Amino acid sequence: MAPTPDWVKQLKPSGPQGHELLAAERAKSDLPVEQLSELLFTKEVLQKKQRILNVLKSEKVFDKSQNYFSGRTDRFEKALARAKKLRNLRVKHNWDLDEYRTATELISEPGPYGLHDSMFLITLREQGTPEQHEVFLKKAKNYEYIGCYAQTELGHGSNVRGLETTATWNSKDKTFTIHSPHLTASKWWIGSLGRTANHAVVMAQLIIAGKSYGPHPFVVQIRDLKTHEPLENAHVGDIGPKFGYNTMDNGFLLFNHYKAPHVSMLARFSKVDPDTNKYARQGSPSLIYGTLTWVRSTIVMQAGSVLARGVTIATRYSAIRRQFQDRDAPQGEKGENPVINYTMVQMRLLPLLAATFALHFTGKAMMDLYSENQKQMNQGNKGREDPNQRGAGPEETQSGSDILADLHATSCGLKALSSTIAAEGLEMCRRTCGGHGYSSFSGIGPWYADYLPTITWEGDNYMLTQQVARYLLKSARSVLANQAPNNDTTRILTDFRSRSEIGCAFDIIGSDSDIVSAFAWRASFLTFEALKHRDEQKKPWNDLLVDFYRLSKAHSQYMVVKNFHSALTAEETRGGIAGETLDVLRKLYRLYALHTLEQEGSEFYVSGACSRNQISLARTNAVMKLLKAIRPHAVRLVDAWAFDDWVLDSSLGRKDGKVYEDMFYRASELNPLNRITVDPYPDSEVLFKRIEGRGEGVRSKL
Amino acid sequence: MPDFTSRIRPCYDGSLTLETERRSSDIDVEELACHLLSRDFLRRQRKVLQVLQGEHIFSKTQQMNLSRPERYRLGLARAKAIQRIVRRHGWDDDHYRMAEYLNDEMSPYHLHGTMFVTTIKEQGSEPQKAYWLPQIESWSIIGCYAQSELGHGSNVRGLETVAKWDPVKKEFEIHSPHLTASKWWNGSLGRTATHAVVVAQLLLPRAPSGKPTATRTGLPTATAEPKRVTAAEEEFESHGPQPFILRIRDERTHQPLPGIVIGDIGPKYGYASMDNGYMLFNHVRVPKEAMLSRYAEVSDEMGTLNRKGHPAVVYGSLTFVRGQIIMHARLVLARAVTVAVRYCCVRRQFRDRDSRSEDDEEMKVLDYPTVQIRVLPLLATSFALHYTGEYMYKLYHQSRQTIEKGDFGPLAELHSASSGLKSLCTMLAADGIETCRRAMGGHGFGGGSGLVGLNADYLSKPTVEGDNWMITQQVAAYLIKKMTEAVENREALPKDPTDELFQFYLKSRSHRVPQSIANEDGLIDDEAIVDAFRWRAADLSYRAYQARVVEQKPWTRLMIQLHSLSRAYSEQILVTNFYNSLDSTPSTLSEPTPLVLRTCFRLYALFTLDSFASAFTLTNAVSSDTIYSLPDVILELMADLRPHAVKLVDAWSIPDWLLDSALGRSDGKVYEDLFDRAHRRNPLNRVTFDPRWESEDIVLGSGDGGRQVLAKL
Repeated sequence: MAPTPDWVKQLKPSGPQGHELLAAERAKSDLPVEQLSELLFTKEVLQKKQRILNVLKSEKVFDKSQNYFSGRTDRFEKALARAKKLRNLRVKHNWDLDEYRTATELISEPGPYGLHDSMFLITLREQGTPEQHEVFLKKAKNYEYIGCYAQTELGHGSNVRGLETTATWNSKDKTFTIHSPHLTASKWWIGSLGRTANHAVVMAQLIIAGKSYGPHPFVVQIRDLKTHEPLENAHVGDIGPKFGYNTMDNGFLLFNHYKAPHVSMLARFSKVDPDTNKYARQGSPSLIYGTLTWVRSTIVMQAGSVLARGVTIATRYSAIRRQFQDRDAPQGEKGENPVINYTMVQMRLLPLLAATFALHFTGKAMMDLYSENQKQMNQGNKGREDPNQRGAGPEETQSGSDILADLHATSCGLKALSSTIAAEGLEMCRRTCGGHGYSSFSGIGPWYADYLPTITWEGDNYMLTQQVARYLLKSARSVLANQAPNNDTTRILTDFRSRSEIGCAFDIIGSDSDIVSAFAWRASFLTFEALKHRDEQKKPWNDLLVDFYRLSKAHSQYMVVKNFHSALTAEETRGGIAGETLDVLRKLYRLYALHTLEQEGSEFYVSGACSRNQISLARTNAVMKLLKAIRPHAVRLVDAWAFDDWVLDSSLGRKDGKVYEDMFYRASELNPLNRITVDPYPDSEVLFKRIEGRGEGVRSKL
Repeated sequence: MPDFTSRIRPCYDGSLTLETERRSSDIDVEELACHLLSRDFLRRQRKVLQVLQGEHIFSKTQQMNLSRPERYRLGLARAKAIQRIVRRHGWDDDHYRMAEYLNDEMSPYHLHGTMFVTTIKEQGSEPQKAYWLPQIESWSIIGCYAQSELGHGSNVRGLETVAKWDPVKKEFEIHSPHLTASKWWNGSLGRTATHAVVVAQLLLPRAPSGKPTATRTGLPTATAEPKRVTAAEEEFESHGPQPFILRIRDERTHQPLPGIVIGDIGPKYGYASMDNGYMLFNHVRVPKEAMLSRYAEVSDEMGTLNRKGHPAVVYGSLTFVRGQIIMHARLVLARAVTVAVRYCCVRRQFRDRDSRSEDDEEMKVLDYPTVQIRVLPLLATSFALHYTGEYMYKLYHQSRQTIEKGDFGPLAELHSASSGLKSLCTMLAADGIETCRRAMGGHGFGGGSGLVGLNADYLSKPTVEGDNWMITQQVAAYLIKKMTEAVENREALPKDPTDELFQFYLKSRSHRVPQSIANEDGLIDDEAIVDAFRWRAADLSYRAYQARVVEQKPWTRLMIQLHSLSRAYSEQILVTNFYNSLDSTPSTLSEPTPLVLRTCFRLYALFTLDSFASAFTLTNAVSSDTIYSLPDVILELMADLRPHAVKLVDAWSIPDWLLDSALGRSDGKVYEDLFDRAHRRNPLNRVTFDPRWESEDIVLGSGDGGRQVLAKL
């Protein structure tokens, strides 16, 4: 393509310029953006982020300009180059784990070392014995062993007990034989496995003398350390292109009677004695379930910031994009209306903006609670239970405080709710951007695609809700039997019971804390309803799954509302920000809560938590007023999330509002398709006539 | 690669599973297929499929691995191949469209055969048609349609590109005054087209005071008042957007003509094979004949605009296009549901919690109500869309006749009904694809689901032809107008079904008893269902009328309420049409199909009712007892439908080749296919990488220190 002519370079967008519009938006509100950012992240973290960002920006390999154009193999190749560079930078700048994670987050694309850095190292550390740490962990930390975590199989996802891969103990030569009896036993979806890893933690059914002992982790070498070719009888590869995550080599792995030494079974919690050939459990794995709880808490907290990216882009663009004149605008008034003035756009965006804060504070509260209890547990409670008596599932462990058990059970539901809010919210943000939201340059689509698997991993969102329901039913039974442990869930259930013959009257529109009570009421009501179905009417478990799903959702929504509310009343928050900021945050809280309440109106109404009239008022009056009140602060509120333009990688979400200039620049200057001149006529077999900057003809790609 | 893998089999046999499923239902699939799609359609589908399958170029195995330029290249190659096949076989238009449907990607030629030629046919004068149509039909020129701009989408009056009349030279000057005037998103423009229909604001010299610059013949139109443009163009005034046909590239070199800058706008969520483009003009001169002048023409002598005839006929064809979009939406949704239903039968997870025996097999996930509630209502929805699509075609043909007789009465009803329905149906389909994809767990995310590309390509539908959220405003405005008329003149003779509904509503408003739809014995009153949907729509219309006309509330503040109104009104149409179709099915279909279709009707209606439960109670449409009993009723309906699920999706007759899905294969060989795609058809597995971070080589043994990667950045 000919270079862009001068007359094009001189063109400006019509009407008020994007930077003027955003400046006007920022002038509408005096919300102290920096102060709010510091409340969300702390000053120290913000500075650290900036420092790391500067390092990343100066490295050419992290340049993003061609990301949106490349094919799968190229994308993976680049991602590997980036992962290597990142590791080099970590060594060079002596970054600690936290800094390294920050850098990964800033690059925000899944990388080929992803599973090595996370699940592989964590599993070795947590489930390995000191001897195994010596054999595996040292080399893994050095990246001599590059690993992955192979649990999911082609035919089995969330159900660990259904795994088909077997590890059979051979008493003669003291080895395990790892084997895939069916095609559906193939490990599948395993991140970093496809092309990168030379080792894997493999979850397999342990079999000793014909008896199965359930799934256990084994460290298995799968590729030669020098040639990087798969070892004999281990068959491994990448599973192909996906909806998103194409920079990651999710892989498959099959074993054909593969022999692994005794040391490969991670033996901190259970082992096979090589002399007696007996199986034995030792220690308590509840710390591991703690890790799972921690992982879910981070998912909740991340959901807030994941969604905030989409909301930032959509909010800024909606303040610039204009469409149609206001139907009621006075005759002669010029110009179209920025779409953010439409209540219809506000209705889609502002509740999501409120949700970003709600999820952030909820995740934070969970992590605080987790670390608090983790500390307590490490001090007391050791060796309280008999390891041979416990069941295999996390929901059946008794150890740790009642609060942690409560947190563990409820974290499943929150993970499900928050990742669904984030994923659906991102898609909503993309659609709110109208036609341009569909362009990769919006930055939302590709981000959404990479985020989507979160809905499924760490437990499919729909399946997880069963665990929550099971726990809630158990809690309700304990309340009925007057044997309830002391935690938040049993407290709200007990409250509900105590008022069952009095009823309630919550002032959902007038009182912030009554909103929390109304959410608690509805969740409790649904819990006892479900219990009635199950215990009294003896309905089959399977028939109740939809009820359970609703129940889990109701309970998680209660948790979010409660945590958001307590964050606002916490000393830490009130001390950190000005009164007016707190007031805006309170409005966001009310918007999130009342919007949710109105969406789920019939459950609140049926449970008696509030009246039909209140729901109707919430919808037509309270929510509309909140939208209007929050509207002027919208741009500053998203500014507080402090996303650098480099991270957003979006034309529409630019901080300076140069939306159209950037769209045009990317299309005309960065777009490789425009270097190609085609022969368009159907009777000619020639497709590409000429490609600038490339001598040779186009190879066949089929 | 060592290969013990060719010997091993999945744990459960997928083919056997689907066979069992098919045996559990007595639906006559072929009969139902003919009922839904017609014998002609099915015959054509078989014929075209056979030809396309035989050509390697249409093989989809590698397309998900390709980069954007490669995808476009492949798209162009396929578009050319289809043209040659059409000529070779002497196919008619229906066959050509079938080929496009089966090829299943946006062809770079798409706009040539649709909007480009349609606009010339509908807006060109007789001499213009005589000049251009032969060139279009012989493909000596290739066209596109350039309306949207970088800064303006749905609002045609906001377009910035101008066509200024030069009264001396008797020609137009096309110009882009700002960056936001750049044409944008226009399909086939980026790399392919040689010509474009460009929509631009027509600027004519301002007449000496007192004389109008526009005269009208024929019927009056509702064009905007002439508005002033910019200070520099004081002496010109705008006459609104008009279509111009322009030559934009040189036929030989295929380079843009002087003064025109064109390019592709870059990668998008889907549509990778289409070159959506941008275009800017720098004072480009074109002859007077460039303006398509069937309805308006600039007079040489006076430089004034003469309007003639009524362009309302054009809205008629827009309505037809919307009807097509709905019929397409049902097939797209059916495709997603086909994949989800089949895979969820083959996929197993967990044993039943109530099961007592360790030896019980794991359950098919479609037996989980949490999966059913996502998939089965969508299965029912595909039928709901079908019967309304049929109704739209009927409505279009009926109105077409009266319009041509000069009677525009039903046009408003038609236009209003079609825009709201289009908005609802595309949204149902787009969201439905995504729901199905997620209902399939992890594999739904993989390329082998076949829904990844479908999702991306279809998602633009809610935005093209008017953003769904904006378009609903038209429906609401129309309903408010109708309600105002009904209130003001309660005794008027109803002109259309909406009038009838509103008059009925106004008469019974004061003594409405909320309907009870289902009783505890599980008996369902179908007529009451229809009544509830109609009542909700009427009541919401009345509330909107109250808020806007009586209380004079600002329009922007009401937008959300109006959006719900539009949706309620469209749902009422879907439910009514579905219900009406039930009467005629028993005569054409053998048992149990009519019964199963009735279950589909109930499931669609009650699922929708449950999702909007509070709106139905707040409007007094249904009693709160009904709302309370709905979850159980829905559970039972799903249990009734469950055994027929596989056969129902079979009836949509989506060929495996089109599904391109390992999960949705009609023979159930899900895992074999997934593995085959990963293991044997995945180019990434042909490369051995060097994973050690200390080595700068990315490909093992390349010894280039990663320079090859940097060169690609």
